[in-house]
Amino acid sequence: MKQSLQRIVFAAAALAVSAMPSLAADVKVALVPGGPHPYFANWEQGGKDAVKDFGIKAADYRVPAKWELGLQNQMIENLTAQGYNAFLIFPGDPVATNSPMADLQAANIPSIATAGCTKDPSPALFCFGTDTGHSAYLGAKELIKTMGGKGTIVHFTGNLVDPNTQLRMDAVAQAVAESNGGIKLLQTIADIDRTPQEADEKINALLAARGKDIDGIITSAWLPAVSSATALRRIGDKRIKMVGIDHDQVVLKAIKDGFVHGTMLQNPYGQAYIGSYVMSEIIGHGCKVNDKAPFKSNALTARFIDSGTGFQGSDGVDDFQNTMKAVTAELMKTFKATYLICP
Amino acid sequence: MNLIRNALRADSLGLLLVVLIGGAALSLARPEFLTAYNIDVILVGFSLTVIYALGQGVIIAIGHMNLALGATGCLVAVAFGGSMQVWGLPVWAAMLFGLLIGTFCGFLNGWLTHKSGLTSFIITLATLSIFKGISLGITQAQPFYGVADSVKAFGSDRWGPLPETLLVALPIVIGVALFLGKMIPGRQMLAFGGNPNAAELSGISRARMVILAHTLSGLLAAIAGMMSVARLQLASPAIGDEWLIASFAAPVIGGAVLSGGHLSVVGTCLGVLIVSLINQALVMLAVDPFYVQVMLGALILGAVGLNRLRESRLGNAPVLRLS
Repeated sequence: MKQSLQRIVFAAAALAVSAMPSLAADVKVALVPGGPHPYFANWEQGGKDAVKDFGIKAADYRVPAKWELGLQNQMIENLTAQGYNAFLIFPGDPVATNSPMADLQAANIPSIATAGCTKDPSPALFCFGTDTGHSAYLGAKELIKTMGGKGTIVHFTGNLVDPNTQLRMDAVAQAVAESNGGIKLLQTIADIDRTPQEADEKINALLAARGKDIDGIITSAWLPAVSSATALRRIGDKRIKMVGIDHDQVVLKAIKDGFVHGTMLQNPYGQAYIGSYVMSEIIGHGCKVNDKAPFKSNALTARFIDSGTGFQGSDGVDDFQNTMKAVTAELMKTFKATYLICP
Repeated sequence: MNLIRNALRADSLGLLLVVLIGGAALSLARPEFLTAYNIDVILVGFSLTVIYALGQGVIIAIGHMNLALGATGCLVAVAFGGSMQVWGLPVWAAMLFGLLIGTFCGFLNGWLTHKSGLTSFIITLATLSIFKGISLGITQAQPFYGVADSVKAFGSDRWGPLPETLLVALPIVIGVALFLGKMIPGRQMLAFGGNPNAAELSGISRARMVILAHTLSGLLAAIAGMMSVARLQLASPAIGDEWLIASFAAPVIGGAVLSGGHLSVVGTCLGVLIVSLINQALVMLAVDPFYVQVMLGALILGAVGLNRLRESRLGNAPVLRLS
């Protein structure tokens, strides 16, 4: 009964939204992650800057209370009822999230799969996120380089239900394979990006058991990066080289203090900023996505756009936010011409 | 002879055997298991888990459930870290603040459960959402990093061979055991859990027992929340998210009866150790990450099954025991 009522409210709100005149000033973008996670925090600033720079009405960051697909779907319905007419969504599930996106599409509300992709065929305009496999590959190559091309590494990565995780595991395996036997991948620990305690316990258990056999650590998810950096600082080990991911303060400080070699930055700021810009162009200026644009492909979709990645070592680690903004500015230079067709 | 027979009948003996055999097997398979660093890792994990497992245990003892245990710990962790970072509170004041919040959350759960007449499952399901929502609202899903150095040191330092966190956990374990085993309110809680109606007829206040158990649970969640901050060196709004299953698993492995009336503190401690050992084994033996959950579930079932088998052979199935 409650669900039916919600559907009716959703349909009525969607109808009202789709009947609205289309001006940039009417564009209300909702940025909806799959659940609470520090990775997405920069979406908020990206949205705020987009409002300022593109004259859209809103680009609001709205977080479901938990990582539950049902909660995320419900939030999307509620936000539609509140008049949001464009959505940047991290898919709670690569297949199941196509369903709320199809509801949005039926109401002429565009959505972009952001920071993670939905599986084709998808109602999303496109998928805009880090080329996670490429990022993990570059990180592993950087680690191997700093290890002098030989030694034993371990890989700490994200949740197995996240389609990015397999891509990251494959990428690290590929970098190891390209070392011509110089590097051995001792172990991969996955499914440790949900809570910090879980990551802390498993990473410390491995370091306690096999620490002396380990020469390098590659992490390709946020919490494992934080826990690994903390663990290396705790045991005072600068022998083990580590390349992390993202820009948590703990990781950045460990880079400055020499416990971590560097981190692979992603660009959540740019995802929100450029994603909101695309919505303002589509809804406010009648643009369309260019189906012939040079999209990349990955395991889920043939319409993928890389939001950028790059290695951040100890040089300039305090200016990492400027690095992210510079990557965004570079993407913005050609984005409209490359991916949109405007009247 | 009687001594041996009593020992064999003890709830915890089967579990102790599982811990000893498991530990021995693991140290044979991987000699690094017995290194000081690894034992430290196990003890630090134990220190934290046993506190929130007992936080759930005291609720199970009265036949209730506390689904908001992790959310309470999360709220306290966020308040503890946030009050140091944002308000610049000294550590003692931040701790006091955290303890008050946790105790109040527990009291609220108990009071609402009693006053509404609804089950604690429903009440704590609602407060879980409220406490978690407050934590997310305060932090915007970002951790507080401004944790005092002394707190961080407490999470890492050792006192002799023991992690300092264990020095907090052990007195709490002993305190809960004495409370439930020797003190009148603790005995009344078990009696109430075993048979609420009989307990009420004998003069034990239902309201007092429900509120007392939930308040104690909130206090223990608060301590665990602050210990998590010390261990992780930051106050993350994800603290407590994984507590729920372990908080039930450890007391139940330890012989607790979900309908109330019985909680073995020693059994709970061994339950925590078993879960910890299993997790260690899965990491040390490099089990394929895609099958870790399967193995974890199967091994927990195996541990519980062995203990239940031993109990049934001895005719010692768990029942209400007041003496």
